[in-house]
Amino acid sequence: MQVMKRLSLIFLAVFMTTSALAQERPRIVAVNHALQSMAERIAGDTADVLFLVPEGVDPSFWRPSISDISTIQSADLILLNGAGFATWIDRVSLPRARIVNTSSAIAERFITTESITHSHGDGGEHSHEGLASYLWLDPELAAEQATAIANAMINRDLAPEAEVQDRLDAIHAELSELDSELRDTLADAQDIVFVATHPRYQYFAQAYELEIVSLEWEAGATPDDSQMSALSALTQKQGAKILIWEAEPTSAAKEAVASMELESVTFPPLAMPNGDKTYLETMRAAAASLAAAAMKSDME
Amino acid sequence: MMRAFAFLICLLAGTFVATAHGLVVFASVDCNVITVEAKFSNGNVAQKGELRVLDAEREKLATMALEQDGTALISLDSIDHSEGLYIEVDTGGHDNYWIVTPDDIARGCGS
Repeated sequence: MQVMKRLSLIFLAVFMTTSALAQERPRIVAVNHALQSMAERIAGDTADVLFLVPEGVDPSFWRPSISDISTIQSADLILLNGAGFATWIDRVSLPRARIVNTSSAIAERFITTESITHSHGDGGEHSHEGLASYLWLDPELAAEQATAIANAMINRDLAPEAEVQDRLDAIHAELSELDSELRDTLADAQDIVFVATHPRYQYFAQAYELEIVSLEWEAGATPDDSQMSALSALTQKQGAKILIWEAEPTSAAKEAVASMELESVTFPPLAMPNGDKTYLETMRAAAASLAAAAMKSDME
Repeated sequence: MMRAFAFLICLLAGTFVATAHGLVVFASVDCNVITVEAKFSNGNVAQKGELRVLDAEREKLATMALEQDGTALISLDSIDHSEGLYIEVDTGGHDNYWIVTPDDIARGCGS
């Protein structure tokens, strides 16, 4: 009986210590999957990294619930992408001391997007300009964002400095290697015009000197007749032979595009997870597909 | 001379037309009152607009009109704000929202 009592006490003590340790892990919130994966790598097992956007929802336009915002407000670190990514951040109170804008050091490299002119109400015709925000698709800019995350963790004592620095160095080495690889892979694609179903690839295009013109299609939806007409006009004008989808298109959409002699390439832009594929795997696969499609279109 | 003048007018008009003016909604809590401010991103006050207050389940709790200075006051005494509030403003052409959490309300009263 005494032994049982002792065992129970030991079990209770271990359980309470484990629970306390689990509760003490800092919580980091990221506004997109790219930042989430960088933060997870840099933090190792010293912090919990949360990405609250539900599957299938574009994090740029996610409308959080009140309880989501409560969770974010209580996080130890809130990783913002900057460049206008995640419109919800301007609609809530966030604790300034715990916010990190991961692109503040690279703001001079932001790309201004074409304005969309439209008209409604009695305001007449007007436009809304913006910034391209998928910075991480340029590995060099992704490295800068990783540095900002690491510095924030170190400055706030969320993880041991030496460990964070080692992990950051490893990420920088991987991104540098990836950059060289992509440069080689895409070297022969620079005289090809690509069309993207959504404006996501501005920094990628700039990094590898590609010409990517963009449409504004909804991800996962089958394009309607007017969208197909616009695509046809665009491809004829630009001489494009390759269409980049941000998510795997429906077979009907793929067939419709193929009938216009356009090659389809899927390039998930990683604001959301790409299944269980990592950033490096996704970037390498996308570059290889783009290069293969470019070579095919060159031979035709 | 006239051509240069016309060109200048076109340039100025183009600049005006290109000015972005999304609606910006901001709310601050002061104990029992939430002050809502709505203005366009070009700095102009939203002089007209409907304000809706929703609970955490997005059920409408109250509606009111914006004052001419683009503000509105929401009394917390008259609504259940325990789970937080969504505040939506619609000017007819533009709309936007602000989220007030229970923590925002607690902090707004110095607790």
